[in-house]
Formats: sequence, C-alpha cells, structure tokens
Amino acid sequence: MLCARWLPSIAFAAALITLPFTALADETCNSPYMGNLIKGQEDYVYVWTLGVPGLGDGFDKLVTIAANPKSPDYGKVIHKVSVGGRGEAHHMGFTDDRRFLWAGGLDDSKIVVFDVGTDPAKPKIVRRINDFATKTGFVGPHTYYAMPGRMLVQGLSNTKDKGGATGFAVYSNRGELINVVSMPTDKGGDGYGYDLAINPQKNVMLSSSFTGHANYMRPLDKLVGDAEAMKKFGSTMVVWDLKALQPRKVLAVPGAPLEIRWSLRDGDNWAITAAALTSKLWLIKPDASGEWGAKEVATIGDPAKIPLPVDISINRDGSGLWVNTFMDGTTRYFDLTNPEQPKQTYEKVTGKQVNMISQSWDGKRVYIASSLLANWDKTGDFNEQFVRAFKWDGKELTPAFEVDFIKEKLGRAHHMKFGAKSARLAYPGVRTASAESTR
Amino acid sequence: MSSLRALAATAAGALALLGVTLAGAGAAAAHEPPAVPDPPAVMDFVPPAPGTYQLHAIMPAPDGPVLDVRGRRARLARFTRDKITLLSFIYTNCADARGCPLAYQVLHAMYDRLRESPDLRERVRLVTLSFDPVHDTPAAMRRYANGVLAEGSPGLEWAFLTTASARDLVPLLDGFGQDVRLEPTANGTRAPRLGHVLKVFLIDPRGIVREIYTTSYLFPDVLWNDIETLRLE
Repeated sequence: MLCARWLPSIAFAAALITLPFTALADETCNSPYMGNLIKGQEDYVYVWTLGVPGLGDGFDKLVTIAANPKSPDYGKVIHKVSVGGRGEAHHMGFTDDRRFLWAGGLDDSKIVVFDVGTDPAKPKIVRRINDFATKTGFVGPHTYYAMPGRMLVQGLSNTKDKGGATGFAVYSNRGELINVVSMPTDKGGDGYGYDLAINPQKNVMLSSSFTGHANYMRPLDKLVGDAEAMKKFGSTMVVWDLKALQPRKVLAVPGAPLEIRWSLRDGDNWAITAAALTSKLWLIKPDASGEWGAKEVATIGDPAKIPLPVDISINRDGSGLWVNTFMDGTTRYFDLTNPEQPKQTYEKVTGKQVNMISQSWDGKRVYIASSLLANWDKTGDFNEQFVRAFKWDGKELTPAFEVDFIKEKLGRAHHMKFGAKSARLAYPGVRTASAESTR
Repeated sequence: MSSLRALAATAAGALALLGVTLAGAGAAAAHEPPAVPDPPAVMDFVPPAPGTYQLHAIMPAPDGPVLDVRGRRARLARFTRDKITLLSFIYTNCADARGCPLAYQVLHAMYDRLRESPDLRERVRLVTLSFDPVHDTPAAMRRYANGVLAEGSPGLEWAFLTTASARDLVPLLDGFGQDVRLEPTANGTRAPRLGHVLKVFLIDPRGIVREIYTTSYLFPDVLWNDIETLRLE
C-alpha cells in the first residue's frame, strides 16, 4: 500500500515508476460513435466505486450524484446500485446509443451492464457477463469502447500466466461475444494492452500498454521487492487498421503509455498520451508521408519526484489537456495550442491522492476522483476517497461540491461518466414493455 | 471527436438536401423525396480490399410486421433474407443533414452503382424503413420513394417500408439497436422531431447484421468493398 512515509525510499521510488495507472473518463473522450454527447449541463455523475470491506455493504457499486446546480439534490448521492461482489471495480463505457453503461472489475473479470437510458437518475443492472476470462483467455477488462452495435473490451492480462500479454474482445451490445483479437507480439509488439481510441475519419485505432494481473493486483510492497516483476510493463502503442481490426504498426513508447486522447478539432489528426513511468507526454501523428510515429513532447512535473500521471482529459477543441498526478495530488493544465510543444500553464493540489479527471464538454466543470487501485491507494490519513467538482474559468479551479465516499460508506471513488435527463426515448410506453419482454 | 470532422465533411455533401427538407418542414413537401444526391464526401483513407478482412456477425436482423408502399402487410424478414441487404431507418420529416438525407444520398449512390453492375444488382437490395409510423403512412412513403419507383431498375430492389404502429416498430428499433429520441418541437412544425444516430445496416443473405455504418464509414467505396467481402465468403 502506498504510504507517505515511504516517499524517501529509493526502493519506493523505483517501484513507483512502474506503477499502473487507471483512467478514461469525461465527455470529450467518449467513443466517436456516440452521437448524443452531453454538450450542455450534465445532470448526473456516475461513479464506478470499489467496495471496501466493512464500509457499507462492502460491494462494488455504481453511485449516482446529482450534478446540476438546479437540482435540489445538487452535489448529493441520489442513487446507488451494488453489484453484490467485490472485484476491483475500475472502468466504464457507454454503448453507442448511450442507453447502457458497461462496467467491469480488474480482479474478477466480470462485466456488469447498467441501463441508464430508461431512467438516467436510477441506473439498474440488466446484464452480467461473467465468462469474459474463460471465453476470451483475457483477464482484467479495462477499456469499454463503443462501436456501432458493439463494444470493444480491452483486457489487461491473460488466464495462462496473469502477465501483461492480452487482447481485446468484441461484444454485441446484447453481450454476445463475436470476436477476440490478441495484441501483436511480432514486429516489436510486446502483446500488452491498456486503452483503445478510434479516429474513424482516418480508419485508425490506437492501443496502449500496461501490465498484467500478477502485478496490478499485487500488494505494492511485494511488487517493489520483485525485480523481475518490475520489468513487466508495457512500452508500446499499436496503430490498427480499424476496419479490418488488424495491426498496422507498433510504436515504441517507453514508460507505460496509458490513456489515449484524439484531438477533436476539425482537421486535426493527432493523439496524445501520458507515459506514467517516465512522466512524459507523447504525441502520436503521421508524418508528411502518412507514416505514423510517436514522439515525446513534454515533461509532467519533475520526474525525479515521481509525480505519476494517471489520467488525462483533453478539451473539445484540442487546445488543452488536464493531467492528474497521483502521488502529489496535483491537477495540471497544459496548453496544447502547439501539440508539438505542450506548455504547462496551471497547477493546483486537489487532494492527497487524485486519479481520474473528467471535464464537461464546454470545459467549465471538472470532476476529480481519488482512487487508483485498492491495493495501491495511500493509507491512513492520506487515503481520502472522494469526488470533487470544480468550476474552471480558464484561470482557476474553484470548488463546487464534494462527496466524501468514506463518510457516505460507499467505497473508493474511481471512474466517472456523465448522464442527462434529456435522453428521452421515443415511444416510451411501448419501448419499456418491449425491453422488459426481451430481457 | 473525430466523428465531428466526419460529420462536418459529410454534412457538406448533404447541405443541398438539408435545404430541401428544411424548406418542406411542416408542409406536404416534407414527404417529397430528397433531390438527386450530390456525390458523398471524400474518404480520408483507403478502405481495405475486399476479402482481406472479416465482417463481424453482429446479430440477427430482427423480424416483425411491416407495410410496403401499397399498404400490404409483410414480414421484414422478406426484405432481409436471401440477398445482401443495405437497410436504413429514416423518417420523411427529418431535417438533420447528418441523418436521413445523408442515408438517402448514400443509398442512392449505391443504387446507381448497383444498377451498372450485372454481377451484383440481383444479389443486393436496398431497404428504407421509416421510424415514424404516425406520419409516414404507406402513401407518404410512396411519395418519398416516387423518384426511385418511377425510375425502376430491372433486378435491383429498393423497398420503402413503414409500420402500422409504434407497437410494431419498437421491437424492430430495439432489435437493430437504432436509438430514436423525442426532441423539442418548434411551434408550427409537424411533431415529432425524432433525434437519432444515423445507422445503415449491412445484412448478409442469412439475415445476420454484418456491419453498421454511421457517418464515419458511410461511403459508397466502403459499402461496396463490404458487399464484395460478403460475396467472397
């Protein structure tokens, strides 16, 4: 477990540069196939929350927070759904129609599908996929990325050795497995996986790389003492032919490249990622001849102090990037006007530990959650568990509200997604009856 | 995201159509077919060659009762089996350049290409299915399809369908995963406005959905290669 008293330790520092970091959030990083983005005020923040033994029911759960200032319940928990188990709740992703939210556990490899379309204020479980590992051979479903009628589910590990070699699965929106794709292990590929991000205009998908179950579920102090285990982290990204789902090129990106964000600005053709272990931003783009490449473009904080970038959130116009660093609890903003030379223009300590960061489409609201992994979060007084909302005026983050997940007996706050009341389906009476009958 | 770029690009190609439908909103002209489409937006990539990739077996196409332009009842399966099918949901009052006019535009481009292909025109059919059964009666769909029906093309089938009620329609929407949302209606315009993500479905002769196109992949060259890929299976 992370603990401040370890900070001076060289061994700890060595461990930190190999830590996995989790993320993927906000309205600007949803799949490009999601047509109904929330471009106004979000009404809800859904928080995928890790259960903590002895805290409430101890189970992983989806927590719904009222996020519209016009709501009488603004800033309060209005709903929660426990999944009846504890499996290292981690990330979530909407289906392309935004009616369903897929969420999963990195430890038990189980996937839960919530209906968020029928009543966005009260998500409910409509499907469970418990055989992800046995059917695919992969472990640790991490990224949930919508394609039309399908969900891509990127694994982190595998059933054979719980190492980092893995792949992604393609499910129909109904939860039926329809394809399994391994990450490349030839032409420089290390077989590792982490995030997926699509640029359909270029028929390109990018993937990044992390580490396996044997590492990310291991107590940190034991991992630190295992030199061989510390070597087993990803150092590649892959450029895929999206239409064919075939790898086109492996890019060397050392230091565990994690979240991938495409610029959304019209005419742009680049993506950015943060390498957690080296605390660097990398730019991925094609050269003049169309050949894809990756290059280091900025440093996040002082790498010698091990800030640990864990999540990033890009503006809707690609002009700026939020970066959360876990160890120093700092939220940084980088100006991306020139993506070849990002410039940090702001920073603020937003917690004793911070992981996920999600911004609204207009960039005026920023939400931060605290938890990284159950075994890696800090301990004692440093183990704050929260969702904090801020207003952003371009110059300063101003606190808006906070939910204390320990005081509320909820657990460890991890991934966040937004919901809105306006997602009202046509023919509601008939549709509800139809959905119930086919369930 | 990148889809925004795609939308912007494709919207440019549909502006003329948008003008037609906006002008006609709230009037009988709303049931007029879109004008002969402009060429679709230019693709920004080279699609993989036919037969070099696999198309997912995504799901069985749902079945249910539908009405043709003469008001005759039939099962949708009649229009999704035994041939390669391109199916698009529309509603005739749609004024979203990213929606129904674009679908019509691309299907019309495919119609033109298929007519010139003796090899494919009898193996492929096009289906346009309304998701507004209240206003899109068989007669309204006949007016919408008038240009195509009048033109005709031996061997090449383009079916224009609607449903008798929401009760018949909704299982098809849910079965295809076609979202349709109610949106605010401006005063004086015909209700309802139906928000939706444009989707065109590629269905193999067994009735299995093999690809779902949104604006980002809705290019005739991509559709053509996918049809050829199915034919090579």
